[in-house]
Amino acid sequence: MATQAEEAKVSERLPLSPEQQALLESGTLTDRAIQARPRPYYAAMRAGDPIHHDKGLNSWLVTRHEDIWAVQSDPITFSVNKGYHEIQARGMHDEFRNYLREHGGGYFPDAIMSDPPYHTRIRKLMENAFTAHRVKELEPRITQVVHDLIASVADRGSCDAVTDISIPITIRIIVEQLGLDPGIEDKISRWSRAVVAQISAMQSRDEMLANAAEIADLQNYIIGKMKERESDPREDMISDLVHAKVTNEDGTVERLTFEEAVSLVRATLIAGNDTTATAIGNLFYVLTTKPGMAELLESIVDDDRKLNRFVEEHMRNEPPVRALSRMCVKQTVVNGTTIPEGAHMLLVYDSGNDDETVFPEPRKFDIERPNLGRHVGFGGGPHRCIGLALARMEIKVAAREIVKQLKNVKLAIPESEITYVPTVATHTIESLPITYDKR
Amino acid sequence: MGNLKVNYTDVKGVTHNIENADDGVSLMELAKQNGIEGIFGDCGGGCACATCHVYVEGGWFEKVGPPDDIEFAMLDMVADVMKDNSRLGCQIKMNAELDGIAVTVAPTSGF
Repeated sequence: MATQAEEAKVSERLPLSPEQQALLESGTLTDRAIQARPRPYYAAMRAGDPIHHDKGLNSWLVTRHEDIWAVQSDPITFSVNKGYHEIQARGMHDEFRNYLREHGGGYFPDAIMSDPPYHTRIRKLMENAFTAHRVKELEPRITQVVHDLIASVADRGSCDAVTDISIPITIRIIVEQLGLDPGIEDKISRWSRAVVAQISAMQSRDEMLANAAEIADLQNYIIGKMKERESDPREDMISDLVHAKVTNEDGTVERLTFEEAVSLVRATLIAGNDTTATAIGNLFYVLTTKPGMAELLESIVDDDRKLNRFVEEHMRNEPPVRALSRMCVKQTVVNGTTIPEGAHMLLVYDSGNDDETVFPEPRKFDIERPNLGRHVGFGGGPHRCIGLALARMEIKVAAREIVKQLKNVKLAIPESEITYVPTVATHTIESLPITYDKR
Repeated sequence: MGNLKVNYTDVKGVTHNIENADDGVSLMELAKQNGIEGIFGDCGGGCACATCHVYVEGGWFEKVGPPDDIEFAMLDMVADVMKDNSRLGCQIKMNAELDGIAVTVAPTSGF
């Protein structure tokens, strides 16, 4: 928690060029062109106004690494619970919630998108499923899934790296882990997009209702699966969550409520799916657009240490989750900027990862950075991504299988034609046509 | 409550003698219970984040042994502050053999 002395500390603001000044005054992350290619906007904020009020979004963008670190380390002043649930279906809360009550079995607030101390007990319950050692045991099975998927398109010579490879990989893995029905993949992709869209602050009312309908469908499906597992537990994560017990600090044991369990199955299904698919899609993007990247990956693919560092540098260089929300619960000064009570904030992770005071030459892809672990691609503090080990493993296995099965991978469209999903939450390529030869 | 002893030197150089550690508790959990500065344990003990990095002092490193491959991969992400006696606190579980162990909290990876 920030002490008064730390609050008083203000780091240097740098002079801006006239172009940067203009960008700060007129730019907004709601602008789809800025959303797709945001780095100049981030650089201007980072330099001259590091916690910048984006008028279009009505949100405070926290862009320097040190400030992101400070905010995420104080989960009480900067509430995820209020930040997340406030931005969800922003401006249309009641309609969204009522829709789900009427059509989706209920409105289930996200138990993991909460604040301590409640968050601490929910988090503890989930953590065992996601340890790095447990994920390591899944490596052979994940490799099989990824291998088969890439093999199924290898002969074709061309495909869409996002919709034919990245999305199906992560969906197949989460379907297996949760214990869902094979064949449900297309629906999961739609559900994932709908959940992400609800926190994007970019929806019209019609879009919000269409997304709410998808979320209702998702809830009805998982509630059905959970009811099955209540009486007939199996070796899968749905059964684990339905039968989970929570031990409180005083030693008493309680169960999750049904509402909590629904929200956690939903969160597990969505959070580890869309974001990891985005990371794999971004991997194809850098392999096909950054000179030397394909050669670099090929040269290190059998060196486990270097491959781990490659994956981590990829998470720094192209973080799939661009920004997540907090709400400031009381007026607070952060690095010289006064954040009002009740203000919405976004921790802009892909700006923090480009902070040149932490990562020199931030646009350079350098797997030998000595402080790679400082990147905020997985967030940080008590809300650090819980599925980070699984995400790393999926990206690592995908990188390995791409090199082993494909060569001469090239972008089939001009880079300037790449489009991004319209959301402030993630930086997700919609479609990435590629050509390649089978190795 | 247990009676195992742990000596922490926190990230600011202040020493803390804990004398009631339970058998089986990790050095990360114990540090958080006792408010040891510099130990965060973001990932909850999953060997997935390197925010509970400690240097195991004196002859205690031989007793706890070196990190396995998975733990080494995490320590390698904070290579600028990694030393030969680096371990993640979450991967060291207390037992009678480690009674009295001394560890120093590693500084945050650099800027």
